[in-house]
Amino acid sequence: MKITRRFLGAAMAAAIGASASMPAFAQSATQGLSSESVIEAIKERGALKIGLSLFKPWSMRDLNGDLIGFELDVGRQLAEDMGVEVEFIPTSWDGIIPALVAGNFDVIISGMTVTPQRNLTVNFSTPYAYSGMTILANTAMTEGFTLADYNSEEITFAARRGATPATVIAEMFPKATLLLFDEDGAATQEVLNGNAHATMASEPGPSEDARDNPETLSVPFNQAFKAGGEGFAMRKGDPDALAFFNSWITARTNTGWLKERHDYWFRGAEWKDQVAQ
Amino acid sequence: MLSKLKKLHWLDYLVLAVVVGFFGYIWWQIDGVLNYNWRWEQIPNYIVRYHTGREEWFANLLLQGLVATIRISIYASILAVILGTILGIARCSANLTIRMLARTYLEFLRNIPPVVVIFIFFFFLSQQLINALNIESWARTIARSDDKAVWEFFFGDMRRFPSLISGVIVLALFESAFVGEIVRAGIQSVDKGQREGARSIGMNRFQEMRYIVLPQAIKRVLPPLANQFITLIKDSAIISLISVQELTFKTVELVASTRLLFEAWITTAAFYFVLCFGLSMLFRRLENRGHRHR
Repeated sequence: MKITRRFLGAAMAAAIGASASMPAFAQSATQGLSSESVIEAIKERGALKIGLSLFKPWSMRDLNGDLIGFELDVGRQLAEDMGVEVEFIPTSWDGIIPALVAGNFDVIISGMTVTPQRNLTVNFSTPYAYSGMTILANTAMTEGFTLADYNSEEITFAARRGATPATVIAEMFPKATLLLFDEDGAATQEVLNGNAHATMASEPGPSEDARDNPETLSVPFNQAFKAGGEGFAMRKGDPDALAFFNSWITARTNTGWLKERHDYWFRGAEWKDQVAQ
Repeated sequence: MLSKLKKLHWLDYLVLAVVVGFFGYIWWQIDGVLNYNWRWEQIPNYIVRYHTGREEWFANLLLQGLVATIRISIYASILAVILGTILGIARCSANLTIRMLARTYLEFLRNIPPVVVIFIFFFFLSQQLINALNIESWARTIARSDDKAVWEFFFGDMRRFPSLISGVIVLALFESAFVGEIVRAGIQSVDKGQREGARSIGMNRFQEMRYIVLPQAIKRVLPPLANQFITLIKDSAIISLISVQELTFKTVELVASTRLLFEAWITTAAFYFVLCFGLSMLFRRLENRGHRHR
């Protein structure tokens, strides 16, 4: 890493100097860096491999068993703009970062919130989506609760293991008990059964669950917690890939395309009949 | 069947009534506690469905997963039998080093939880193998070509071929330890006189193994091997952790997409049961027939 940085510095200095006698080693180092980039690998392969974990409405299976969702739109557009095919590789959430590091796919596009801990292992692009998390509570069990009341030893939370809400719950309500499940459905079911007081998830999940079970569930607070940005995750040490994905996100944000797609999946209901309700 | 019923004592009926009552009570309890909206009518759709766009019947998520599980189980057991036979012979080898190596491999696999073994094999072994052999780009070339139907019949979506192969390798390596033990027991069950006889007519060690010991051993180990095959099918659920697209993984996906939590898992359990129980009945029948002909 240090060596690379030194070489990069040398290359920059040479460029600024704009002299014809650019040191040969600096040139080969930058060339090496860009030829080793995952972007080159994608172009050579003719296919972009995207890792994702199913998570409604980011990505899900429709009635025909095909993948649909916000991430799928993003991934397909990204591949189209690169002029390559797209391959989605559904991966369990627990193992998605190890699988990226092991090289199973080029990039994770799976609504992954940018956190410092994850950032120690992988690089993140600038956020392509912003989603806030809200609390979904069992109405009868949490009647008249203020936010502070949730931070008590008598309170039980349920959440998806390894996902951001689990971390946020542990941070905001350190006294409460936290039950961890492999996916959101099981966590919500625990709240429905009255085994947990509440769960936390990114919108619009909680609002929808509350709408589907009006007698039992509610979203007690209007406010969204820890509205973090979601970014693409890629392997470290690849400045070209980071630059490319960042530029793509900036461009697609500026044209309003990302917002339009985000609204379609997160606010709209047009896609609802494609999925079993 | 009817004559069997008549043989039942009144006590049998009592026991039956208690069992039914017990499960009824549990169900009643669950129903009271469980706040769940059952939607069984959705499940058949995810087994086979009429595709609205393509206008044809097709196998949906759960059936795709079942087919993948069957494929993986067959390939993995073939590989496991090959590796296990080598391991079993190595366990009976006259050479101490070979015996110790085989023993180490076996004890390593038997005393570490399957989940850990699977992760180690996946990241350190099968992944490297796939990268080294460049299997991925080869599979992609086939996926892009026109005559891929034969390949897809055997291996499903060729784009997911590397993941299928790593699942097969990981599962086979894991099961080979148990197959190896079965084969070793079979070899050692062959009477010492048989080996001595083979030697006395001038066979070398290889010929002794090939013509005298293994044929007898294999006949004896077939029933336990059949059982191991059924165990392998059940164990194959573990490789969903490394995201191989088999039945368990597809069920997780289905649950994540539709929240059909209990319906999907109960259906999947039923699939595994029918598959494993059916095979166990089949093997029992074959075994009985084998006995009759002897």
